[in-house]
Parts: sequence; C-alpha cells; structure tokens
Amino acid sequence: MTVQEIMERTGLKETGLAKAWIKDAVQIIRSSYPEHIKIDKQNIIDGEREYILPVDMISLLSVSIKDTNDSKYKKIRRVSNDIVVKEDTDPE
Amino acid sequence: MSFDTDRNWMYSLSGRHIHLWQWTETAATDTVGSYRVKLPSEYYGKQLIYPNEDIASGLRVEYTAFSEPFVVEALEDTSARYSASTIAFVDGGGGADTITDTANGFGDFGTTDKIRIIGSASNDGDYQLTNSAAGTLTVATGLFTAESLGESITIYQIPKAVADASVDESSHVNLNRMLSLAAVDYIRAQMKEAVGDLQGKEYCMREFWKKLGDNESNKRNISMSFPASPFAIK
Repeated sequence: MTVQEIMERTGLKETGLAKAWIKDAVQIIRSSYPEHIKIDKQNIIDGEREYILPVDMISLLSVSIKDTNDSKYKKIRRVSNDIVVKEDTDPE
Repeated sequence: MSFDTDRNWMYSLSGRHIHLWQWTETAATDTVGSYRVKLPSEYYGKQLIYPNEDIASGLRVEYTAFSEPFVVEALEDTSARYSASTIAFVDGGGGADTITDTANGFGDFGTTDKIRIIGSASNDGDYQLTNSAAGTLTVATGLFTAESLGESITIYQIPKAVADASVDESSHVNLNRMLSLAAVDYIRAQMKEAVGDLQGKEYCMREFWKKLGDNESNKRNISMSFPASPFAIK
C-alpha cells in the first residue's frame, strides 16, 4: 500500500505527518509481533564477558552459543537472579 | 572445545550489552605426571565464570529488527525466488562479481532488485543487483568469495528501501496488506486524538490491534479432521 493510498483512506493532507505516523505504526507492529527477524553473530573472546546487542534490535528472541563439539548453535538460558560475581579479575 | 553449551552457558542483560557466563565446577588442581588431579582439601564448588575460550562466530543473537518502513514496491510484488544446486559465485577481481546458474533460472529477477542469498558456503547475505540475465546476476566488485556450484542455494528478492529523504506519496509501506490497513487505523487514531476525540481514538486503536491479531492468527490456521462414524447421520 502506498503512502498516498493511506493518506486518501484517512483524509490526511500533510505528507510529513503521514510519514511520521506510518513510522510509528511500523515500530509498534514490529515490536508487537516478530515480523522481521534478524540474526547477529559475534566472536566469543577468551576472558571477555561483555558483548553488544545489535543496534537495530527491537526485541530479543533468543541467545545461542556454538557448540564446537557438533557445530550447532544451542539456545542458552537467561540468569534469572542477580549474579553475585560482579567482576572477575582472573577469569581462568 | 565448547560442549553442551545449552547447559553450560548462560547470559544476563545489562543495558545495551549482553553478559555471557559459563557454568563450571571448579577445584584447585595439580598435575601429576601427565594427569591433572583435583586436590581434595582445597576449595571446590560450582560457579559462573567469564567465557574461557575463543569461539569464532560463537554468539548468535536472534531478534526482531526495525526494518526500513518505506520500500520501492509493494511487499506482495517482491516475489522473485530461485533455488538450485547449479549456482556458482564468481569473484571478478577488479571487475564486477557475478552469480552464475548453468540452468539459466534467474529470469524472474529485475535489473536493480535487492536479493538475499541463503545456503551458500561463504556468500550468504543481502546484495544489490546491478544487472540481471537468465544465467547471470551481477553485483558490485569485491563482494563475493569464489564458490563453485554444488551447494543447494536459495536466492530471493527482498524489499528495496527508499532513502528517508526520498520518501514521497508513491513510496510503499514495508508491510503486507493487512498490516497496512492496521497502519491506516493507527493514523485515524492519531487524528482523532489530535482533535480531542478520545472515544474515537480508542475505537480506532481497538481496530488497529484487532487487525494485528488477525494478521498473526492468519499464519496459524489449522485444519482438524475427524473420522466419520459408520453410523453417522449426514
């Protein structure tokens, strides 16, 4: 559906406002239902705990780690409670 | 070597970061001969530690993303798709890179389509075509790793985004028909709110959520069949 068709259906005259509201609607739709799913892969580094979440992420669906034993990505669990270890200065 | 990662790894979230933890059973050890032995009187326990090995592309995050809101053509029209094991990738060096198909199956692709490749050994990703013919798709230089045919590869068209400054009335919304109708309800709700008609706004937002729900349930239609009893009255 074109922007023009949406404007005609709603009776909206301002194109700029229509674009802004369409963007809002797309954002709400994307955050409510997993329509557009993406995969991001990062290298895991020995001794490094912190990895960045994708900048274009709306909602997180799953986190997996590669099992090098059988080359499969396996979904891992989220730690539900507060972790006692806040920083490990000797992670080996 | 990582193993049973679904049981030995965990994550936590901290702002824009994800923290990875490995669940280990630790003990003070010593090496006797070539054997590593656990010292019985020392500390022994289970704990979370930082990742203790390098794993190339080891972390995989699956997420919903904010895709481009406006595209060049309607989502329903981006239908070109082709799967075959006769597809090869050619690194053109200083010239354009190409995808070739010995079965000449690229006829549905347009000259400037945007495509996604899945199933290849090293060229999966999104690409912008610069030319197309039945046997060859052309992209810019320096994008492909040479790969001979043999893998079962799928290439399909994906919506081409419109640059933000170029969006006009002729641009298409990157949503299917049902979700576009939901967007219409959303805009109606905003217009009602702007004139202080909160009851009208609530009505339009209900219609908006109803269409979102319909769109989702349309994917989950199931059919149920029951064996007819020989004595059933029709």
